[in-house]
Amino acid sequence: MNKKWGMAIDLDKCTGCGACQVACMQENNMPIFKDDSDLPKRVTFLDLMKVTNDKDAKKKYGEVQVAFVPKMCQQCEGNNLGAHQPIPLETVKKRVLGGEKVFFPGITYDEQDNMLYKPEVVYTKDMVEDLEKKGVKSVYFDNSQPPCVSVCPVVATDVGDDGVVSQVWSRCIGCRYCQTACPYEARAFNWWNPRYEGDFKKSLNPDVSLSSRGAVVKCTFCSHIWKRERDKLLAKGEKDLNKVKYNPACVSACPTNAIIFGDLNDPESPVYAKKLNNDERAVRLVHSIDKADPKVREKWIAKKNYPNPKVYYLSSQKWLRDILVGFKNS
Amino acid sequence: MKSAIEFCKNEWNSYTRKTKIALCVLLGLVALFAIFAIQILFWGLGYTDMNNVFAMGIWIIGDLGLVALGGGAFFSGFLLYIFRKDDLEPLINSTVLIGFMCYLFTFILLVFDIGQPLRAWFGYTYPNWGLHLMPKSMLTEVVWCLTLYFCVLCVELIPIPLKHKVVDKIPFFHYLGHYLHRLMWIMAAVGTFLSFFHQGSLGGGMWGVLYGKPGWFHPHFFFLAIVLATAGGTSFMTLWPYVASKIMKKEIVPMSSFQALAKVSGFMFIFYLSYRIFVVYTLSTVYVPMADRSFIDLLGGYYGLWMLSLELIFSAIPIVLLLVPKFREQEKFMVAGLISGVLAVLFHKLFVVLNGFSIPNFAWRPFMGYNPTIQEWFVMAGALACMALIYMWFAKYMPLFPHLHKHEHHEA
Ligand code: SF4
Ligand code: SF4
Repeated sequence: MNKKWGMAIDLDKCTGCGACQVACMQENNMPIFKDDSDLPKRVTFLDLMKVTNDKDAKKKYGEVQVAFVPKMCQQCEGNNLGAHQPIPLETVKKRVLGGEKVFFPGITYDEQDNMLYKPEVVYTKDMVEDLEKKGVKSVYFDNSQPPCVSVCPVVATDVGDDGVVSQVWSRCIGCRYCQTACPYEARAFNWWNPRYEGDFKKSLNPDVSLSSRGAVVKCTFCSHIWKRERDKLLAKGEKDLNKVKYNPACVSACPTNAIIFGDLNDPESPVYAKKLNNDERAVRLVHSIDKADPKVREKWIAKKNYPNPKVYYLSSQKWLRDILVGFKNS
Repeated sequence: MKSAIEFCKNEWNSYTRKTKIALCVLLGLVALFAIFAIQILFWGLGYTDMNNVFAMGIWIIGDLGLVALGGGAFFSGFLLYIFRKDDLEPLINSTVLIGFMCYLFTFILLVFDIGQPLRAWFGYTYPNWGLHLMPKSMLTEVVWCLTLYFCVLCVELIPIPLKHKVVDKIPFFHYLGHYLHRLMWIMAAVGTFLSFFHQGSLGGGMWGVLYGKPGWFHPHFFFLAIVLATAGGTSFMTLWPYVASKIMKKEIVPMSSFQALAKVSGFMFIFYLSYRIFVVYTLSTVYVPMADRSFIDLLGGYYGLWMLSLELIFSAIPIVLLLVPKFREQEKFMVAGLISGVLAVLFHKLFVVLNGFSIPNFAWRPFMGYNPTIQEWFVMAGALACMALIYMWFAKYMPLFPHLHKHEHHEA
């Protein structure tokens, strides 16, 4: 797939009504606990965070600013250096025949975005010849490295070719290493046995599996809705997966259209990444590297991975942008 | 049945009053451990003070501490069997036993720590490997390496019961013990090899790779942890039998062996302290600024600057007290040096875990705090009590201290 799903949230439009959070809870079968006021232990994918410029409660009346920020898994991708840069197969062949160890860290695709090889392959002569036979002219790779994926000891979480970070509840052993790694506190652990009492059971969504106690769960951009839409298209005879369009539950639920969703790679999409990157009003959460001097940025990115999230926040209020993007001006 | 009860009674009556009190306290702790263990395993981790932000707590600190201190086992074995530092011989059995227990209880604590203990075997069946034999996740590496090293420790431990005078009389066991002993250098080599990896991964690499967390991200954390384990672990391996000999009021290990290992520890602390200072320096000048934060801000929480300073002070003390012969030769200074070596390890682990988790992820959040619940405390304390009991049992019934037995032999 050549999709890269992403989101843009216009905080000027958000009224903090919480509809997105409720929709998310319902769509993804969130359990209800006896004491859900225990916020740090609550299981939720989408957290409506109250953000204020008055952390120490020292500001005077009239100076205090407050905003509500819906925060879900930001579907980080890491630096993903060299991704989506097509390399002619001829070049790969020359290097392989020359005895060089040609190693692609990410998933290999051909020019039509068909997946050819899984990540971390070292190319051999046979493989290159095989690709030639298939008529492949050039290859590129995609090497998303979210902070939380490589750390999982049992591969319970992975990143798909549409950039969505998945999580398999029933594979997770509950070590919480991924929670430790996530800079956005986007993962929730089931500290208690999840309960679905009485009539509540009838409203459960059959497309999302129920979690058990002791496993980590997270937002997957409602990838089950994507599957539902895909099946509908397939039933109509459409086989091109790139044609599947969908909206996660929070996006559909927002009454003011503050959350929009789409393909970050598509110039026609309202969340076209290149446009958002140049938008004065847009920031990404705790990602001040976006605003750094280009030379410094280049130097640092060569040295260290950055989360590179796929969710953008838009606001015309400077204080809010400053506090969202990092720690320097807050 | 009757004779068993009679035997237990006689055994109990043969103990001194102090031993009886110690045993009561330890057994009490073990009983509480059992009760809270059942609560945690059956009703979940909700009973701990960990949460979605402070995702790990006192048990992981215990794991890190036990593995680092237990690391003294591999290093002493390495010095004795590979470098033939023979004056360590009287200490080695005790060292192996402590190492064995440290690793055993690391596993036990890990089982409590993970939310799905029944799925723990997934670590072996669905490991997160990368290319060839390179594990991708530090925890995969930890699981495999700990398991293998634990097997090595088991093999190293077997000769101790085999040397028991009853068992030793049976020719088969006598020869088995003999040949196992001769194989020990291979075990020591394999153990050292494995230890280097998991000391690095569990102790440091596990935190150093978290690129999204400015308090931890540092490429050198892996190696730092190895150096710390060799330095602090040897202190621990010297201190423990020393305390045991004081309690038993017998010279179980000659003073020269204590001195030898203490010197090694002091020597390793020179490396550790310089390395740690280098890591702190590069954290503050390179890695934390790369995440657009300032190091001193990260030290602002409840577990900040004071903890780091204490760690550095405790790492500096052994260098003076254990390396300068004038001090080392005086028992009290040597013991002070050893204690501070162990404390250096403890404070390092406390600082890494507590400070790392307490750092706010968002600019509008304050620092987090963590206050372990009674369940967490007693599972931890119970584990330590079990270790003490096992060691006491070995010290009483097994030839743990060959030096002591040799002496008894001579006297007889
Ligand atoms: S908590 Fe689950 S998903 Fe997260 S790292 Fe551990 S096993 Fe993997
Ligand atoms: S690190 Fe956190 S926010 Fe980023 S993909 Fe993983 S869970 Fe989502």
